[in-house]
Amino acid sequence: METTIEVKNLCKSYAHVKAVENINFSICRGDVFGLLGANGAGKSTTIECILGTKKQDSGTVSILGMNPQKERKKLFERVGVQFQEANYQDKIKVAELCEVTASLYKNSLDYGTLLKQFGLSEKRKSLVSELSGGQKQRLFIVLALIPNPDIVFLDELTTGLDSKARRDVWKRLSALKAKGITILLASHFMDEVETLCDKIMILKRGESIFYGTVQEAIEASPYEKLEDAYLWYTDEEVENESI
Amino acid sequence: MKAFRALLKTEIRLSLRGMDMFIFAICMPVAVVIILGSVFGNKPAFDGAGYTFLAQSFGAVSTIAVCAGGVMGLPLVVSDYRSRKILKRFKVTPVSPALILTVQLVIYALYSIASLIFVYAAGAIFFGYQLQGSWLEFLGAYLLVMLSMFSIGLLVGGIAPNTKIAGVAASLLYFPMLLFSGATLPYEVMPVTLQKAADILPLTQGIKLLKAASLGLPISSVFIPVIVMIIIAVICVTISIRFFKWE
Repeated sequence: METTIEVKNLCKSYAHVKAVENINFSICRGDVFGLLGANGAGKSTTIECILGTKKQDSGTVSILGMNPQKERKKLFERVGVQFQEANYQDKIKVAELCEVTASLYKNSLDYGTLLKQFGLSEKRKSLVSELSGGQKQRLFIVLALIPNPDIVFLDELTTGLDSKARRDVWKRLSALKAKGITILLASHFMDEVETLCDKIMILKRGESIFYGTVQEAIEASPYEKLEDAYLWYTDEEVENESI
Repeated sequence: MKAFRALLKTEIRLSLRGMDMFIFAICMPVAVVIILGSVFGNKPAFDGAGYTFLAQSFGAVSTIAVCAGGVMGLPLVVSDYRSRKILKRFKVTPVSPALILTVQLVIYALYSIASLIFVYAAGAIFFGYQLQGSWLEFLGAYLLVMLSMFSIGLLVGGIAPNTKIAGVAASLLYFPMLLFSGATLPYEVMPVTLQKAADILPLTQGIKLLKAASLGLPISSVFIPVIVMIIIAVICVTISIRFFKWE
């Protein structure tokens, strides 16, 4: 299988505090890779170093065989990104944000179709700021898909969505995966990870404490569910018990 | 080019939706012309002057929009787009975040030019104002004023750590310049000491140039204002490029 994302010995610290330390993984085309960990475990820092919006202290990153810092223009024609924070202009409408986003790429998908697929057709003329949390989240996924990407980065994919909307998003992502799109997502939800991810990495204080398939993660732990296994890996269960 | 056009269209819409610039750059200067014209009529600027009070003020009033856009609009939008991480989002697309800043510069230049046209039209229609000097010199000076004001704006927006500080800095620059450089309160009616203080402001120098060009007066000391404004533009642009933070 062709490798689409490769990260080697990635290290990054902020003012002598280690944010991520010696991260290694590779993702194949059409795989969904999940980055797990508590808040502050280094998920976002890892994603930002991979994207090149933060510069790593050491280590190498390659996406589709390109260096994200040096070949930014060429690379980001083929990569869609959804960030954790909402970053859009004040008073901008849904259709305007989509139109501007589409204009940034040489080839883009019809955003009308995407809005429809994500149940946002009726919101085209609404201000982005007036959307509900779940609608915003879905809009940001639409924005990440507008470039018709080979790879999508999704940070905190379904935070703020209700159960029905989450399942719809999962269905969409499974369809994308079947088409051969590589997905890297950061998530807090173990059901989501179990449903979608081929491989996962669990981060704790910036270090990788597990890297492999969901099945392997469960088998190597004394538990039968990923959620329990995850807590066992991150030692959070022990702390909870002491409370 | 596709991205530039789409962004320009959307950002103009957003700016008009905000109304601030429409009020400060278009309505306010036109109102000032009408007030000056109604109060002073076609009286000469001073006893024995060969031009009217309004003609003397034309150059100054035409810079209100440049001042509003350059030291108020531009720094606020730059720091706002940084703190909202819009610039960061552009970094993970094929276009440069500089594109969105270029679009803003174009928008504020458009506001300034529109304002100049409206101010001239208001003066010409209601009070029979005519530019006596050379349009070429006037537009050259206007461009120079835009260059130096916008460069100050980029500097403030580029290095202010957050939107709040950018806002305070913008106000500290905007209101003194608007009041004391002759843009609203005519320079000629100020006491000499105040005039001397106002001379430090770059806009005062720009207005002197515009005034001379619009009245067709011999520009005896054109050298100093031109040099001052070019130096300011070079310094501000250099510092803002050197220390600009995308996030």
